[in-house]
This record gives sequence, C-alpha cells and structure tokens, in this order.
Amino acid sequence: MRQRSLIAITAALAAGALTLTACGSRDDNGGGSDSGNGDTTVVIGVDAPLTGDLSALGLGIKNSVDLATKIANKEKYVEGVTFKIEALDDQGQASVGQQNATKLVANKDVLGVVGPLNSSVGESMQKVFDTAKLVEVSPANTNPALTQGVNWAKEKERPYKSYFRTATTDAIQGPFAAQYVFNDAKKKKVFVIDDKKTYGAGLAATFTAEFKKLGGQVVGTEHINPESKDFSAVATKVKNSGADVVYYGGEYPQAGPLSKQIKEAGAKIPLVGGDGIYSADFIKLAGAAGTGDLATSVGAPVESLPSAKEFVANYKAEGYKEAYEAYGGYSYDSAWAIIEAVKKVVEDNDGKLPDDARAKVVDAMQDVSFDGVTGKVSFDEFGDATNKQLTVYTVKGGDWATVKSGTFTG
Amino acid sequence: MPRRHRRATAAAFLAVAVLAAGALLYLTRPRPEPPPELRFPSQTTSFRYLYMQVRDTRTTAPEFEFTIQALAESDAPVTVLSISQPYAGLSLTSRPATPLRVKGGGSRKIAVIVRVSECGKVPRNAGLPFVDVTLRNTRAKEAHSYILGARYARDLSMALKVACGNGFR
Repeated sequence: MRQRSLIAITAALAAGALTLTACGSRDDNGGGSDSGNGDTTVVIGVDAPLTGDLSALGLGIKNSVDLATKIANKEKYVEGVTFKIEALDDQGQASVGQQNATKLVANKDVLGVVGPLNSSVGESMQKVFDTAKLVEVSPANTNPALTQGVNWAKEKERPYKSYFRTATTDAIQGPFAAQYVFNDAKKKKVFVIDDKKTYGAGLAATFTAEFKKLGGQVVGTEHINPESKDFSAVATKVKNSGADVVYYGGEYPQAGPLSKQIKEAGAKIPLVGGDGIYSADFIKLAGAAGTGDLATSVGAPVESLPSAKEFVANYKAEGYKEAYEAYGGYSYDSAWAIIEAVKKVVEDNDGKLPDDARAKVVDAMQDVSFDGVTGKVSFDEFGDATNKQLTVYTVKGGDWATVKSGTFTG
Repeated sequence: MPRRHRRATAAAFLAVAVLAAGALLYLTRPRPEPPPELRFPSQTTSFRYLYMQVRDTRTTAPEFEFTIQALAESDAPVTVLSISQPYAGLSLTSRPATPLRVKGGGSRKIAVIVRVSECGKVPRNAGLPFVDVTLRNTRAKEAHSYILGARYARDLSMALKVACGNGFR
C-alpha cells in the first residue's frame, strides 16, 4: 500500500511537472497566417524599375514592400485590414512612371505608394498623387528639390504635401562625398561626369560645389548619354586631364562600363559615385579594375543595424530570388510608415476606414514615428527623413566594404 | 519479488521520476526575454552644435573654440574616446579632455579648442564640415563622423577667417 502510494505520488509529480512545462513554454506558432483575415483590403502601390538595367534595385524595393505587407497581415497589425501590393514597372522612365501614378490613383483600394527609385520619375509622379491626395513614400529619391522645392539651396519650400521619403537627400550626399574624397582620400583634382538626369546632374552639382569650397580643382566635366555603353571618348579625356579621381553622377548600368573604360584608357584612378552605383551589379560591370572605386549610399549599412537583423532573416525566409539591395531596408520602412498611418486612421475612426481615407493617411503620415529597419523613422516639415545617415563604401575583394559612416545632425 | 527488492525498485523508480521531473522543469522553465541587443554607439549617440567663440588672436596663437553637446539615449551610456577633424592645418583638443563619459539618457557639453597650424590648408568655406569622433559602448568601439549643419559651417568659416586674417600663414 505504501509502495503504491509512493508510485501514485511519483506519477502525480511527473504529470504535474509535464503540465507545468506545458504551461511555461512559449507559444512559438505566433498565430495568424500570411493571407491575413481582415474584412477590408488596403493596397500599397509599388512603382520601381522591375525590368531593364535598374531592375536589381527595383525588384529589391518591390520584394521589401511585399515583405512588410506579409508581416503586417501575419501580425494582424491593423485590425480588420488586409494589406496587398500592386507593383508597377516604370522601367526607369519618367513618362511610364506618370502613367503608373494615374493607374494607382484609379484603384480606390490604394491608400499609399512606395517608390519610385529615380528622382526624375518621382518628379513626374508627384503632382498626380498630390491632386488625388494619395501618399507617396520614396525609399530612394535623393534630389533635394522633390521635398524642398527647386530653389532649395536658397529658400526651402515644400512643393507637395503628399510626398515623403526615407532616403537622405543629395544636399547632404554630394558634400559628404566631397568631404571624404578631399580630406580622407586626399584627392585634389576631379573630373566630374554626369548622365544629365535629375538625380545624376543634381548629385554631381552638390559634389562639385563642396569640392571647390574645400579647395579642390575640377579639371574637366562631361555629360554622357545613358543609352550608350561606349564611353571611350570620355575616358580618353579623363586620362589626358591629369585628374586623380572621377566623380560620376548617375547609376550603375553606365557607371560600371565607364569605370572599366577609364582604367583601360590608362587612368588608374578611382571612380566615385552616389547611391545609384551602390549595387552588386556595378562591381560585375566594372570588373577587376573597379577595385578601389567608391560609392556613398544613404543610411548605415543595413547589416550593421540590430534592427535590421529581423528584416534580413524574414527576407531570406520568404525566399525572394533577388537581393534586397541598397534600398530594401528603406523600402520596408516606407511601406511600414504607410501601414502605421493606415492604422492610425482606422483606430481614429472606430476601427473602420473613413470615406476620405487617402487624405487622412497623408495627414497621419506627417506624425508617423517608429523604430524601423534603418533606425528611427519619422519625417520633418518637408517630408524628408529625420534620420540622415550616410556611408562611404569601397570595392574590395569583389564586394562593397564599409569605409566611413556619418550622421547629419544640423 | 521479495518485499526488500520491491522497496528498492520503487525507491529507484521514485528517484528517477523525481530527477526526470526536475530536469524537465528546469529545462522548460519560463525564461525572461533576452534584453535587446545593444546598438552600435553611433546609433545611440548624437552631437549638436551649440555656439562658437572667436578669440582675438592678434597677440596669441591662432585658435578658437566651439561648444558641442553630446547626447546619449537612455540606457546607452557612451564614452567619447577622441574628437578630431579631417582637415590638414587644424588640430583639436577638448575640455573636458577625452576620454569622457556620457551617462545613458544624459548629455554633456564639450568645448572644442581648434588650433590653426597652417592657414593654407584649412577649409575656409566648407558647406558641411565634419567632426570625427571615436565612441565606445559595451557593444563596440566605433569611428563616426558627425555633420553639424549649416550654422556650424558658417561659424567655422568666420572663425577661420578671423584666425587666419592676421597675417598668419
């Protein structure tokens, strides 16, 4: 009897332990599903170059926005709302971007748009979106005029209330590069080339102004045709100019071959560019001679931010074929800013979207503030990101390596 | 089975069961969430330009002083190991001297004394001049640049013009 009691007590203890174990363990299933179960569908539009030379960056943008909507749906982040994306290909062309803006405006379910990549495309879309009171958040546009007006250097004036961006502007990026090239890299004679586009020409101008102020000499300037891949004539001019560095305002499809041809012409000098050349594809196109070339890009390296680890892991888990590239973190944050704004609008309206949801989302966006992939995400009175970080990278061992990071706190 | 053996078997079973239950309880005990990973010091620290003090350098060495404020986020104390700038022709010291500690959630004013050694190598009109700092927290030691903005740039240009305007080369 005594033994039976002992056995019974032991069994009870073991059973109790197992019960307690079950109570104490965390539920790893999380709940929810990728498809979401909301009653209302909210579409986040995406506009980026999904085909053509710049598609590596564009597909990274699209996938990152897609990931943000999946996470929001899985977490049921906005009660009663399921997010979807509608991604349109602008091919890097302003006219196509404008047509896409019109298409997105026509879809009443679209309450926000992430994109575009190119400043020239962004410029063509702003008015269309603003007229429809549809919020647009670009993860990559860096031309200062988009938020601060065409006379930004003298007097800042916000042209469109509905336009925001998570990327830092070229008003900082160009001078940041000039400071690095002149002071740290000790280069004093620059040959400046641009592709005549809004982004490229603007960036080259802000670089040049600061380089001159620091005492640097501009020994030559040229414009290239972005449709061409033969830059041998420009390369020869660079060789003959005596420049010790080249600054290129433009994007990697041209920058890669340009760097290669400059070295082939006999000028063994680094090519420096902005975020438009910060892509793995630049390294492929420039070849081995591209080692030592430099790029500035907006923000801190995504991999260095603890806040980005989850993004990187989730991106991998989704199995996207393309890399998130330079703007993945900024695209995710741009989409999440829209999700936050939608959440605020829904919660302020008893859990439902109001009739004037688009206008309300524009208003809510101005006050959005959250810890995103790239750090604190919020916007200043011009719609610019308040988080203004930049990093210099160099091509080393067939990859981009971090050289120096800076933060604008002025 | 003899009674003695039955007792021994039961005791052994009891001991094993208690040990197993204890091990299970230990292994599956509720654990507190791990603290969030500390960020790199540049992600938790900012520097703000406050003001410039230009000195009459007609009879003294060409130097001037500006004051910045280091701000650390809460729960993220940081040590400023060095303050420098990348321009040839200028050297910096600070008061208080580095290394200096900024408490988590706190701020500290730092006076930066700039000595001009060669006016021909100073940025007399820089648009976005840097201050380079080396920071350390429990996560990492990190070199980072802070771009203090347009007002700092203007004041720096003016201070350099005064410092280099008295025939000093």
